Amino acid sequence: MQSTLANRTAEKTSLADWWKANRGLLGLLILLIAFPFLLALSEGQSIGDVLANEAGNAKFMQGLLIEVFILAIYALSYDLILGVTGLLSFGHAMFFAAGAYFTGIAFKNLGWGAGQTLLGLVVVAVVQALLFGVVLPRVKGITFALVTLGLASVFHIVVQSTEMSEWTGADVGLQGVIAPEWLNTNTARFQLYLLTLLATFLVYLIYRRFVDSPTGRVCIAIRENEGRALMLGYNTFLFKLVALVVASLTAVLAGFFHTIHQPIVSPNVASLGWTVSALLIILIGGVGTLSGALVGAAVFRLLEFFLDRWFGNAANFLLGAVYVTIVLFLPYGIVGTWRLRSLDMAKGRARLMKLLGLGKKETGD
Amino acid sequence: MPNEIILETQNLRREFGALVAVDNVSLKVKAGSLHSIIGPNGAGKTTFFNLLSGNIPPTAGRVLLRGKDITSLPLHKTAHLGIGRSFQITNIFPTLTVLENIRLAAQALGKDSFRLFRSYRAFPKYETRAWEVMEQVGLVNEALLPARTLPHGAQRKLELGMILAPDPEILLLDEPTAGMASEQVPELMALIQRIQEAGHKTVMLVEHNMNVVMSVSDTITVMHHGAVLAEGSPAEISANEMVQTAYLGHLYEDTAVTP
Repeated sequence: MQSTLANRTAEKTSLADWWKANRGLLGLLILLIAFPFLLALSEGQSIGDVLANEAGNAKFMQGLLIEVFILAIYALSYDLILGVTGLLSFGHAMFFAAGAYFTGIAFKNLGWGAGQTLLGLVVVAVVQALLFGVVLPRVKGITFALVTLGLASVFHIVVQSTEMSEWTGADVGLQGVIAPEWLNTNTARFQLYLLTLLATFLVYLIYRRFVDSPTGRVCIAIRENEGRALMLGYNTFLFKLVALVVASLTAVLAGFFHTIHQPIVSPNVASLGWTVSALLIILIGGVGTLSGALVGAAVFRLLEFFLDRWFGNAANFLLGAVYVTIVLFLPYGIVGTWRLRSLDMAKGRARLMKLLGLGKKETGD
Repeated sequence: MPNEIILETQNLRREFGALVAVDNVSLKVKAGSLHSIIGPNGAGKTTFFNLLSGNIPPTAGRVLLRGKDITSLPLHKTAHLGIGRSFQITNIFPTLTVLENIRLAAQALGKDSFRLFRSYRAFPKYETRAWEVMEQVGLVNEALLPARTLPHGAQRKLELGMILAPDPEILLLDEPTAGMASEQVPELMALIQRIQEAGHKTVMLVEHNMNVVMSVSDTITVMHHGAVLAEGSPAEISANEMVQTAYLGHLYEDTAVTP
């Protein structure tokens, strides 16, 4: 019993096994690559039109999906620190916004190329992660949340201040950013679509590997019981710092793509609301599941878009109703509930009744 | 080296406000011995343990490991000195499997914890070690269950397994039998004794039930109101009148008037 189990768990996975285990993921990737072409063909355009970035529904939908990919990368980074490591940060928007603003300033004011900008972003990411890291050993839980909220608020105020308007555009936002030709969202939409799609998949795969690495396993242990991890001999501060740095590197990448795609940077991406968006996405998808960040980002953005298109002003009301429904009926998020096979309509209805003040008192949960 | 002193405290003291939880305790623990600390509830045993393992800093006094001062060492460093500590309240990673709980414990003292982008499967030695330990404590059949689903007795074994995994020299066990069904207690004590004798380990054990430690201990220290009341072999302790009085409660009544 012991040896067979030990062999099974210690077995190294071969490439063939990897393909087999990730069939669904690869299928999705291929489908998403083919999607603009299929849409174009169904609308009477040719494949050449997609490659030439001709205007049309295919081009428009690519733009919408690029937004989904950017949100997915951003939400993944939040899932790493909240869902995996258990650090509640209310300042995560700053990780994204610093990347977005830096990219805009590098392109517009400094005239940097994409490579140079990305290198600069690495520095930005490490510096801001260390800034958050400074307070790590001193505060925990909700206090950490408030301190990070404070740090991000300072950042939000600074980018909005009129003194900074030459660089950040103050409260109007950073406008007139011209991305390099090969990344331009108008003239090279399909290229940007492919790039952001591949970046999302790559980040997701790297994150999955990270969570499975000796370091990532310790991060999970810290989420579960930090005191125990310390007693085992792990310097938990360093592991939390590593998680922050990795998350920050990822979030600035999302910010980089955001600036290229929009191509303006609104101060809203530095606000608490933007952190809440990340939180909402991983709550919808499933906290700590990683793939939940991808599913959540798609649901979040597409729902917002289509409800707005179909219902106009009523969209926000419906959106709220959908989120409440998800929280009531899928308490572990879409992916989390799917994995646990724990969809319980009766319990969900009971929670709904309780929320409306109609149900009888629930005992336990 | 027999009779070498491995762990020593010098006038260790801890105050919580006006309460002196540990009152100038000086203690010497011989290498390879099973040294129990007993005393009624509130005698300061767990606080003393927390001072030993560095969970809380002492108000005064020192802790020496092989003559080296380890009093003000950060918590995560004590494990690296070969000290493993268990808790009275079960302290595990609840949603992780038994295997992963112990594997993490084994990985803690290795040099691979900062490998960010390689699978943990690339370091099978920790997993192999975890299987060894699970066999030792009898948790092989529960290996793939989430730790929180185990019954209490098995969680105590897991707690022990997590300390054993990095193969420490000194085991500090805080009431390892706490909350266990009484028929399971002898089995766990026998296991602890086996581990101590076979691995030539030093075990310090906190218990408030005197009967549990009598048969397994080499040395027993009795604590009462934060101070050492008596120390000696089990035979000496059971013959000691002061100890009997403490356990029968007379000392309690005497001092209860002047807290």
